[in-house]
Amino acid sequence: MKRDEVKNFNGEDGKPAYIIYDGKVYDVTDSRLWKNGKHMGRHKAGEDLTAFISMAPHTDKVLEKVKYVCDIEEENVKDNKKEKIRELYRKYHPHPILIHYPMGILYFGAFMEFLYLIFKIQSFETSAFYALIIGGLSVFPAVLSGFLSWYINYDKILTEIFRNKIVFSSILIALVVAAISVRIFFINGEECYLWCYIYVLLYFLMIPVMTFIAYNGGRITWPD
Amino acid sequence: MAGLEGKTKHEKIKALEEMIQIVLLRIPKEVEAMHFYTKAAEKSTTKDAKNLFLSLAQQEKGHEAELRRILNDLIVQLNEVKNS
Repeated sequence: MKRDEVKNFNGEDGKPAYIIYDGKVYDVTDSRLWKNGKHMGRHKAGEDLTAFISMAPHTDKVLEKVKYVCDIEEENVKDNKKEKIRELYRKYHPHPILIHYPMGILYFGAFMEFLYLIFKIQSFETSAFYALIIGGLSVFPAVLSGFLSWYINYDKILTEIFRNKIVFSSILIALVVAAISVRIFFINGEECYLWCYIYVLLYFLMIPVMTFIAYNGGRITWPD
Repeated sequence: MAGLEGKTKHEKIKALEEMIQIVLLRIPKEVEAMHFYTKAAEKSTTKDAKNLFLSLAQQEKGHEAELRRILNDLIVQLNEVKNS
């Protein structure tokens, strides 16, 4: 019997109540501890209850008292694939590695731009621009690895934290693209007036945006 | 839905979404703990230590399963409130 087929035996509306334990299907219909396909108001018939046994006040010896039906036919290729990706993620943890590049480089770049505004030394401005290019490009792999982490660790369930991260990462990408575009296409030499102010504003706006993304990342790592 | 009685629809949705987030963020922690104890069992040099770590890994697996069950129930509740 396949897992999907066992789900039909949920004990509701007079149907038999089957459960899966350790790759085997058991019939608990006649057990006095199962009523309308529910056990203690928590566990539902038709499901795999293997992992719950460590939380139960009994061992798996109780299954000797119910009828064995058959073994499960495993066919869950998609879940196995996800599990393989999860194993790779666990081994190499790409998101924690990749998020620190854009953050470190763009914070550094903003500091260089700040120094340029104070001292008017051109090499500070050049450093800030190169940091913007490298830091900006490194935002993309960081965001992609974030989506990967969300997919494999949190099943793409959208909560406030993940919404914040997605919205503010999108804003960060927009700021990076806008700042690079302004610097390349509109600023040539020192006489740039409005475009220089816009460039500096875009650059400095990245700081609170990145900080907020990082803060939400911290809330995932160390939940309230 | 104990704990939600007397609340407005908006407050119920907010409370359920907060609860979903709390449970969701905890699941990978349990998974990591399970892997940690499993690895520790593999590296154990005595049978007692190995059994202890395997037992702890099994408990973490139980916590994960229980959290996933609660998460699914909360998502069902949230959809019910949204559609009410």
